Amino acid sequence: MINKLQRRTLSPWQMAGYALTLLVGLVIVLLVLQIYADVRPLLTQQTDVFKNHAVTVSKNISLFKTANKEAIYFNDKELDSLESQQFVKSVARFTSAQFSVNAYINVPGGGRFSTDLFFESVPDRFLDVRPDAWLWDSASSFLPIIIPEEYLQLYNFGFAESQSMPVISQGMVEQISFNIVIRGNGQSRTFTSRIVGFSGKINTILVPDDFLQWANCRYGDAAAAPHDMPHPTPAAQRPSRLLVEFDDASDQRIPSYFENRGLNISQSELENSKMVFLFRLAMLGVFVIAVIIVVLSVAIIIMSMNLVVHKNRSLFLNLYAIGYSVPQIARYYQWLVSIITALDVVAAAIVAMLLRGLYVRRLSSMFATGGSGALLFVAAAVLCMALLVLCNCSVRRIVRKTVSQN
Amino acid sequence: MSESEVTGSDIYLIPEFRFEKGKRYMVCARSGHGKTSLLNFIYGVSHRFDGSIEYRGFDSVGTLASSAARPMPEHQLLLLRRRALSLMFQDLCLFDELTAFENVQLKNRLTGFKTDAEIRAMLDTLLPSAKKDQPVRTLSLGQRQRVAAVRAMCQPFAFLLLDEPFSHLDHQSAAQVAELIARETEKQEAALIVTALDPTSLFHFDATINL
Repeated sequence: MINKLQRRTLSPWQMAGYALTLLVGLVIVLLVLQIYADVRPLLTQQTDVFKNHAVTVSKNISLFKTANKEAIYFNDKELDSLESQQFVKSVARFTSAQFSVNAYINVPGGGRFSTDLFFESVPDRFLDVRPDAWLWDSASSFLPIIIPEEYLQLYNFGFAESQSMPVISQGMVEQISFNIVIRGNGQSRTFTSRIVGFSGKINTILVPDDFLQWANCRYGDAAAAPHDMPHPTPAAQRPSRLLVEFDDASDQRIPSYFENRGLNISQSELENSKMVFLFRLAMLGVFVIAVIIVVLSVAIIIMSMNLVVHKNRSLFLNLYAIGYSVPQIARYYQWLVSIITALDVVAAAIVAMLLRGLYVRRLSSMFATGGSGALLFVAAAVLCMALLVLCNCSVRRIVRKTVSQN
Repeated sequence: MSESEVTGSDIYLIPEFRFEKGKRYMVCARSGHGKTSLLNFIYGVSHRFDGSIEYRGFDSVGTLASSAARPMPEHQLLLLRRRALSLMFQDLCLFDELTAFENVQLKNRLTGFKTDAEIRAMLDTLLPSAKKDQPVRTLSLGQRQRVAAVRAMCQPFAFLLLDEPFSHLDHQSAAQVAELIARETEKQEAALIVTALDPTSLFHFDATINL
């Protein structure tokens, strides 16, 4: 009976308007959350080393500098200047081996292939790969090595192609054991070694930082120098390349700072960080807009309810006067709004799931994607609860305010 | 209303007035002298008065109080309106979209006090039978007043408040309504407070109060 009375107070257009705007807002909110959850592993994978927006910085090598090699090193003043910049979060140095390195492999028949090498190291937190075998201690005679991915590509697509040699995979390379001899300071030591990983970002032959510190002390040129001798600074402590971490890689001051000082900065890496940053920014933007749409749709229904109650004030007052309570008077509207909201959330979850199906198919053809749609349903459930509480409380508050105005 | 308007009142500006259960009161005054206001104060619709109103000795309610400074909480007010007080509004407060029967039913559903058959029987004594299933907006003012009277009786009450209940009825119709009301108040051993412009002889009143 009371429903019959109250049904006439509502306009189907108001309800349809609420249902539609809420649906649009919810679909976008849920989809953005789900896209972010689905794409995040890819972003992390691609930019692990630069998750803190770190880039490699070196000095430009000019004709003058080829003659005066000292000029490729960073001096203390330059390092201090760099570290004091607002956009710089931290600076890490590449450590170079200050001893000679020779790698060899014995071939059946008594022969031996050997080559001279160099080593560098960076703090582990800057590595984009972290193989299980990336461990070293002074008692161990095994030395793990990481080489740039490009070395293998250079061989496979350049050398092997032109010399009609077989191509080799990363897995094959990791199987090959060889020996490393380090010599310096009148001593030498042999290690067994293996390439344990390929870095997509750091363009050098890397060994664990602990190893290089230890080996530079024992076999390095610096170890021979008296401790009180200030000059020359040992080359191991004069970095020629730096890893610089930024708070925000898209900061406009970064390119100009490095350009003005003739420093070479790995632009592509910076661009990559920028892209990730912009992607996140775009997602955040869309998310904020979607939240605004949802908030507006809730505002629409609350305003509609206000309007309905004010237009039918005497109906509400009469019901209250003959003994109906506020919850009883509000119940019809609460049910209606709750049903529309719940149906909208379910519909939005289904639509978002269908849309996810479309982009996941495309994504999985490009990348190995994992992840499920569970987040979408959790988000939908949370949103549904929040909206139901908000709408129900608002409707009851409006009715109470109207009937208790005398 | 101004102080001069209430001079000589039997209720306003006196320390205490007590309405007792089982008695019948006639409240007489000219238009605008506060008849409807008095019933609204008692029924808890309005709190714009000085002093306080106490409701004592209702089995299901206990002693409650209401004043401008401390209006009665909603749950107590609703309990009072469903169990102890029934008001027939001067402006009737019927729902135009509902039929006469539905209007009464809407109120009766709160307490389930009367059966549908009892409601129909009451309406049949006061209205042409075809009218009770027509929307109230199609009824005459007098017919609506009778629907409002029936509605006021469809709940348990200790006090039945009637605000100018016969203003749009001829003498014969008024007598029919009065008889039904008298029967119901006797059955419920309730008090009756009737407001009117002039004294009426339709009930045997225990007291007449001039505002």
